[in-house]
This record gives sequence, structure tokens and C-alpha cells, in this order.
Amino acid sequence: MAVFLQNLINALQWGSFYALIALGYSMVYSILMLFNFAHGDIFMVGAYIGFGVSTALVALTAMGAFALPNWLILVLTILFSMFLTSFVGMIVERVGYRPLRDAPRASAAITGLMIGIILETGNLALLGAQRISFPPLIRTATYDLGGVYVTNKKIMIVVVSLGLALALHQFIRRTRWGMAIRAMAFDYVVVPLMGVPLNKMAALTFGLGSALAAAAGILFGVAYPVLDPYMGILIGWKAFVAAILGGRGSILGATLAGFLMGFIEIFVAMVFPSTLRDLIAYSIILLILVFRPHGFFGEPYSARLRL
Amino acid sequence: MCKRLLLVGMLALAATFLFPGVRGAAAVPTIRIGINAPLTGDIPKVGEGTKYAAQMWLEDINAAGGLDVGGKKFKVELIIEDNESKAESAVTVATKLITEDEVLAIIGPQASKQAVPAGEVANNYKTPMISPWSTNPDTTKDRPYVFRGCFLDPFQGPVAANFIKDEFGFKKAAVLYDVASDYPKGLAEFFKKAWEEINGPGSVVAFESFTTKDVDFSSQLTKIIQSGADVLFTPQYYNEVALIVQQAHQLGWDKPIVGSDSWGSAETVKLCGKDCYGLFFSTHYAAAGATGATKEFIDRYNAKYGYVPDDVGALTWDSMRILQQAIQDTGGLSGDVKKDRQAVRDALAKIKNFEGITGKMTFTEDGDPIKCAVIVRISDKGEFEFYKSVCP
Amino acid sequence: MQATSDKRWFKRLGRSFSQVPLLGWLLGALVAVALEQIGGLSLAWAVGLPKIPVLFGFLMALKKPLLVPSALLYVVLIYVLPIGVIARVSASPLNRLAGKLFSSSLVISVVIHLGLLYATLHVWAGISDYRLLVLKLALIAILLTLSLNVVNGYMGEFSCSHPGFMALGAYGASICTVVLFVDDKLFGSALLPAAIGPFFFPLALILGGLLAAVGALAVAIPSFRTRGDYLAIISLAFMFIVKSMIENLEIVGGPRGLSSQPDWANLPTVFLWTVAGIWIINNFVRSTIGKALNAVRDNEMAADAMTVNTRRTKFIAFCFAAFWAGIAGGLFAHVLRYVNPSTFGIQKLAEVLAMVYFGGLNSVYGSIVGALGISLLGEALRPLEIFKWIIIPLLLILVMIYRPTGLIAFREFDVVKLLQSKQHSEKGV
Repeated sequence: MAVFLQNLINALQWGSFYALIALGYSMVYSILMLFNFAHGDIFMVGAYIGFGVSTALVALTAMGAFALPNWLILVLTILFSMFLTSFVGMIVERVGYRPLRDAPRASAAITGLMIGIILETGNLALLGAQRISFPPLIRTATYDLGGVYVTNKKIMIVVVSLGLALALHQFIRRTRWGMAIRAMAFDYVVVPLMGVPLNKMAALTFGLGSALAAAAGILFGVAYPVLDPYMGILIGWKAFVAAILGGRGSILGATLAGFLMGFIEIFVAMVFPSTLRDLIAYSIILLILVFRPHGFFGEPYSARLRL
Repeated sequence: MCKRLLLVGMLALAATFLFPGVRGAAAVPTIRIGINAPLTGDIPKVGEGTKYAAQMWLEDINAAGGLDVGGKKFKVELIIEDNESKAESAVTVATKLITEDEVLAIIGPQASKQAVPAGEVANNYKTPMISPWSTNPDTTKDRPYVFRGCFLDPFQGPVAANFIKDEFGFKKAAVLYDVASDYPKGLAEFFKKAWEEINGPGSVVAFESFTTKDVDFSSQLTKIIQSGADVLFTPQYYNEVALIVQQAHQLGWDKPIVGSDSWGSAETVKLCGKDCYGLFFSTHYAAAGATGATKEFIDRYNAKYGYVPDDVGALTWDSMRILQQAIQDTGGLSGDVKKDRQAVRDALAKIKNFEGITGKMTFTEDGDPIKCAVIVRISDKGEFEFYKSVCP
Repeated sequence: MQATSDKRWFKRLGRSFSQVPLLGWLLGALVAVALEQIGGLSLAWAVGLPKIPVLFGFLMALKKPLLVPSALLYVVLIYVLPIGVIARVSASPLNRLAGKLFSSSLVISVVIHLGLLYATLHVWAGISDYRLLVLKLALIAILLTLSLNVVNGYMGEFSCSHPGFMALGAYGASICTVVLFVDDKLFGSALLPAAIGPFFFPLALILGGLLAAVGALAVAIPSFRTRGDYLAIISLAFMFIVKSMIENLEIVGGPRGLSSQPDWANLPTVFLWTVAGIWIINNFVRSTIGKALNAVRDNEMAADAMTVNTRRTKFIAFCFAAFWAGIAGGLFAHVLRYVNPSTFGIQKLAEVLAMVYFGGLNSVYGSIVGALGISLLGEALRPLEIFKWIIIPLLLILVMIYRPTGLIAFREFDVVKLLQSKQHSEKGV
């Protein structure tokens, strides 16, 4: 039982990252019906921006410019980096996606992939090859709950990511912008004719998705404090799987599927020999899609599919 | 106009065929050495270390006015090529270096997945190649022209197992390794074999794995903690070491963690912080408290590039030096690159007790060095302290 | 004034060269490479290059920018000039010859053209083994790109499983040849004498291809019920599964990889397989089933209504594409003489996708251009080290923005048109 609970907590933490990144994919999808394949690398850029911001804040505090407690630095870092990274997302949209609005969807996927490679290589060229250690802003405190170990970081990560997902949900439900996004997701052709600016909405979704990716990047830096230019690739692709598994363009679906991905990976390693983890985990995903070909919250493909 | 142009062109072409040009007077005879390094791709840091160590070596040579072989000064040119951490790219780079740049010898590639196929190429073209870092036996096996700069997994595995047994007297060990990467996997298996020989079958109570680029090991670590192991052996690269050690501590593991030579990077402590203090690993050399040439190398590298060199840097440095030794041992180069390659290869095979900064080296028939391993303890200041030395 | 006369001059040149038959170009190329073989080195020395520029001077020029004019001069003198002169001079006799060949027997015409092409490549690659290797890998890339184009271009799915198919083919073929013909420590001593090996090699490749085709069932069957993004991640999952499976198969070496494949993938073999692949895939996509693929891509329901058996079509397309990807994988393994599972990961996927979309969807020409372009560019820009991976993606983004379906998309590869006498066709129009 203790093992199960322990892994449940592990999976919650790990799934949070997938969920946050998958939300970014889903946001963009709901408007443009495209996946932003540079998203994993925007996550990486977000983590690096977070590194830069937090290092600067720590340095300023140390110099005595102002006295900030570490938790406040972390909060400020998350907010600042989300703000800055959302511009990265908008630039990616402007450069790689807007010129291709009427092109086949796969072409935009290729520009996304290529922008991703440029971000990785650019980072490598600018910052050199060494990995960067994310500053330890909060001290790790481990709580022993009858054989189940929980750290304050784990709690924080899960709470923050659930909070962000909820905030996004509220944004989509309650605000005018959110209504516009929903309308656009409902009909891509007619809604722009009724005066909703398509380009602005696309930039908005890219910005929102990237901000979430930045938050994920910083939380990632807190949990796994080793950053390198290629850190976004694998997690990005896996979150892409989660985004689709949840059903395209569904906020709730992406969040749940992100956690599901985390659960599958952690529990497969728990139950089966861990050497077979990828083999079994991806077979499960393949089977899920064979029996639920449209993910959990998606609708069957039909006329909506542009090509 | 068109015709006249053509005519001029044809005449020029004919002229060059009739009067074969004389190759521009070869003022300074040049030795070209190829470096096959992963500058981009999965392990750019390894490529960087290789490049820096090689460039530092070249500085020395240039400062001395060239390489002195048999009383003649040769200019040395390094040709550094990027193999993108891909097997096929490593093969094309090796082929290019040998057939196009006509290098005398090649240093690299580093990772076994590239060194194995690139070694095949070097061997086919009878060009000496030294892989400083590849631990896969296949790299040098039945390949007289391929050498390596480090010890092999079958040696290091038992070193770690014996050390744990002697030091702590534990009976149950756990292993955590990357199943998709050949170095950790090989070492994990040799460790398991050695440990079970000492402590009987079943004494490796958890043999857990993950896949390259994973960052969350909580499930595997939970399993390891539940298995009741006394010690965790994890032959991983430094970036993963930091994560594994921190996560293990967060999951309540307070027993020793032991590692292998891949821990031997300045970044280990930088990334891992206090969590890694007091842990042991086996490696080629201990950076803290190093003396003589080793210290000199570390200080120079640190001053020049701003960090203490990794094992890759040190091994590359040794490989460059051992190659230099071999070139000088030939007693003179003929200028015919094929003959010279043969001479260098023969000289390499004959080298005895080469004093490298990572220990004394003598090549076996397969081209593998016989070297001592060092057990290093990460001190409470985060430095790599010499703990003890194990020789084959 | 000057500009307009220049323009006219170009136009005239263009028109006069438009009448050169393929035969003429091939002959010119052959003469050019033969010239290079005979006098390339002395010419290179004469223009101040240390040796023959191996990839049209790119490598040298990028390392030492001072050599750019020399490299250009070399390329003009040894390639452009002879090819141009011979193509122009021989245009009218060769046109007659091409016409005659064409009207007498298409097969002979094809064989002669291919023979010339092969001879050109052979002589060109004979200059250096580096060229040979680059050429072999580029030819394999053509085969791979073409097979992916069948699914991604003609059928309009976004399949990510090609590295997986390639891995299956590579391992299938390698296991065959290594088990049967090589004394290896994984599988023990050779079962058959090595002498018959080269004859058996095609069988091994086909077996690898079939293995990949069987593997394709895992993607083809789910494709009956879903498509688009869902199928994309099914194929992505398939790729991860194959990679993980091979990593766990200790018998084929696991992550250490499988080495010591026999050296049978020489240039004629790779060339023949590539030509066969292009020929068969071209016929496939121009056949009824190829048209059915386009119908499925454009509107699956409508296609179904028009009596296209969509399931059968998808099934065949996936297996067919996987088969050729497997062949490419087998050749790849035998060119490198080593395979390991990590070769067939996301990196490879990005590479193949880039080749397909760079060259152009739904087009055999496009795949050839894309594969050759990206793989030669990848080699030629090697001296730029890290910046290579900024320039190539930038180039691709530009191509995508200005030609969203790729450089040469939706163009039929018509052998008949290609081989015809050009004067003849002019008259016909």
C-alpha cells in the first residue's frame, strides 16, 4: 500500500509536467487545428528564461538591491518568465505559422520542427554545451508519512499546475477572449467573418500555451534542476501524445491525459520490469487509441479536418 | 561572344592538362590529425571537452614550433569534425578524415555507438584511431588499428563491486541504469555479475532501468528502496547522477550510492550540490589533490576554459599525448601517408608504461590499455578526493 | 540596355539547351567526371586548390573562404563547361539516337540511360571513398524519402513510424546475413559459405522489408478507424515500441547494437535497389491504387462512396511503404556495417520528414530532390559545425513559407517524357 501511495504521488508530480505542456498543444490546436511542434523547445526556452530571471533576482537580492524571500523570488520568476516566454511563442507563431495559414497542415508541422531545432542549436551556440543547474530557491523538506515520502516541492508542483489548468479553464469559460477562443474552435471559417480577429486569437493561444510551458519549465527546474538545450524534445513529444490522447483541443482532456501519461509511465515501471517500460507504456497508449480512436474527449474526425 | 568565351575556357582546360601544375611548394611538412567529436546532438559537452583538450595540445605543439619527429620539425594541423552524435555521421566523418583530409591518425569518436562503426572504417583504411572514452569491447576487438584510452567495463564492474564489499561489507545491492545506452548497461551487467560472484546469486535485489533523457526515476527508486538494498550502484552520466541522487534522498534513501567513471566531471557536484557529498565512484583520476602533470593539466584547462576538465578531457589529452609519443617513436615520417600510418600504428602497439595523467598505460594486443582505476570520494567541499587505487 | 541584352542572351541559351535530350546531359556528365578523373588533380593544383574538391568545393570554400574563387573556377571548368559544351554539341545527333532508341524499344533506352547514369556516378565516386559513402547514403535516403512520401504525400497521413520500419528492416536483414555468413560472437559461426553470400543478399534485404511490412500492420489496422493526428501518435508510439523492443532484445545486441555485417552494399547494389525502388514506387503511385490513395487523402468518405475500398488501400499503402523503408534500412545497415537502436529515434524522424516536405509532397521528383538536397547539404555544410543546424532549418522554413508543399510537389515522374528526343517533342507541340 505504501508503495502504491508513493508511486501515486510520484505519478502526480510527473504527470503535472505532461499536463501543463499538453495544455499548450491543445490551446493552439483549438484555434488553428495545428500542433505546434516547437512547443517542447519553447518549454526549454521557458526553463532557461526562468533560470536567467531567478539568477538575476537572486543576484540583486544578494547585492542588497532589495530583500526578497526565496519563495517570493520563485513566484516572481514564474510570473516574469511566463510573460517573457509568451512573446517567444508569439514570435514563433508570427515566423513559422502565420505565413502558412493556408498551407497544408503538415507544412506548418515541419516549420514547427525546424524552429525547434533552431531554438536548440541557437541555445547551444549561445550558451555553450554545459548543462545548467537551476538555482535551488526553496529548500527541500521531506515529510515521512508512514513510509510514504512527500516533499514540499512535489506538493507545490502539483498544486501550481492544477491551479494553472483551472485558471486557464476559467479564462476560457468566463472571459470575452475565452469566448472568442471557444467560438473559433467551434467554427474556424465563419467566426473570423463575424469580426473575431484570427491572427490576434492565434497569437493569444500561442502566448498562453507558451506561458504555461514556461511555468512547466520552471517547475521542472525546481524538481529536476538540470537544464540542457535538448531537454524539451522527448518530454515535448510525449506531451504531444497526451494532448491527442485527451482529445484534440480539449482543456480538460489534455490535463487528464497528461496525468494519465504520468501514471502509465510510473505504474508500468512499478508493476513490470522497468527495462520494458517504454515498450509496455506505448503499447497501452496504442491500444487505447485502437479502442478509442478519438481520444477521451475528442469528437470523431469528419468535415472538420482540414488538409 | 559566347563562342569566344567557350574557346578561352577550352584552351585553359587544355593547358592545365598539358602542363600538369606543380603542387605549391610544400614549405613546411604538415602532420594532420583528425578529431571526430560530437559537437552537436545528445552529448555536446563531451564534444566540447574533446575539442578543448585537443586544442590545448595543439597549443603546446605550436609553442614548441611544431612536432619534432626524427630531428625534423613538422607543423601540426587538427581537423575537428562534428559527428552530431549519430552513428552514420561518425562513419562519414571518419571516411572524410581518412580519404579527404589524409590524416595520419584519428582521435575519437567518444561514445561507443559511434566508435564501433567508425573503428571499422579506420581499420579498413589502416589508419590508427584512438577512442579515448569508448568502453565497448567491440570497438577495438580484432581491429589492430584501433586503440582506446580508457579501461573497459569488464574491469571496472568488479572494481566497484569489490570496493563496496571491502569498504562497507554489504550483502544486498541495487542497480539503476539506462537501458538504452550501451555504456551504463554494459557496466551495470558486469557489476551485477561480479557482485553475484561475491555474494551469491540473488544478491542484486533490484536491477532497475530507465531510458535515455528520462528525468524522473521515482518509480524505480521506490522499488529499489522497497527491495531492502544496502547500496545503490548507478553507472550514469553526471547529469543523471544529480537527479538520481537528489530524488533518492527525497524518497527517503539514506544509504550509500556508488558510481563509475562517468561521474568524473566537474559538473557532477555543480548540478548535484550537497546531495552528492560523501559518495564514492571509480574513475581514472582524482582531480582534487592531483599532483604533477595531472594537476598541471587541470589547472591549465581550468584557467583557459573556466571549469575543471571532465574525464573525457583528460582521456582525450592522454590520447593526444600517446599519439604524439607514437609519432615521435617512428623516428621519422616518409611523407607517404599510408606508410606513416602503418609506422604510427606499430609504434602505438609498442608503447609501454606511458605516463598519462590518467595513469600508466600499456596497450594489450587488442589495443586496450591496462590501467589502474582510482576510487574517489566526493569530499564535503565538493572536491574529488583520492581514496584508493585498484590495479588489474 | 545592357541588362536586356543579357536577358536575351540567357533566354537564347536556355532555349538552345532545352533541346538537349537526357542522353546528352548524361553523356556530358560522364565526360566531365572522366575529365576530372584524368586531369582533376592537376587542374585543382593549377587553380590553387590543395586537392580535388570533393563536394563541388563546398567543404574547402567554407573552411578557407579565400579559396572560393578557385573552387568556383574549378567547378566551372570541370563540370559546367564540359557538360554544357558536350550537351550542346551532341544535341542533334543524340536527339536522333534517343528518338531511334525510344521508338525501337523502351527497355533498351532505359537500360542505356541507366548505364550512363551509373557510369557517371561510378567515376564520380571513384575519386574518393568519402564521395562514395556520401553517395550511397544519399541513394538510401532517396529510397526512404520516397517510401515515406507514399504515406505522407500520396495518402496524406502524417506517419511518424518510418524510423521504426527502417529499424525492423535493418535488423531483419542484418540478422539474416550475420547469422548465415559471418562468424560472430552473438550468433556463432557462419552457417553457409561466404561465397554465395552476395547472391543471397537481395533475399536478406527482402526479408528485412517483409519484416517491416508485417510491423506496419500495427499502424495499418488502427488506421481503418482513425486518421490524422490520432494516427500520427499511433505511429509515433509504434516507433518508440520498436526502439524499446530492440533495446530489450539481448540476442541482437540490445543497446550495444549489431555489428560486423558483411560488406555487400557496394555502389552497384545500392544503385540498383534505389532504381528498382523508384521504378516500382513510381508505378505504384501511378496505378489505380495510387489514384485511390489520392482519393482517400482528399476525401475518405467520398472515396468510399466511389467504390474505393479504403481499408484495402490504406492497408496496402502502409505495408508497401514499410517494405521499402525496410529495404532502405537493410541497405543502411550494410553500408555502415553497424546498427544500434538509438539511430532510429526522433532525430531520424525529423530528418526524413524534412526530406519529404523539402522535396515536395506527392511527387517522385520531389523526393529525389529532397533526399539528395538535404543529405548533400548536410555533408557540404559540415565545416560550419553547430551553425549547420541553424542554416538547414532556416532554409527549410523558407521553403515551407514560399512553397508550402515543397520544392517540386504534385509532379508526375514520367519516364516516357524523360527519355524522348527533345526535338521531336518540340515539333509535336
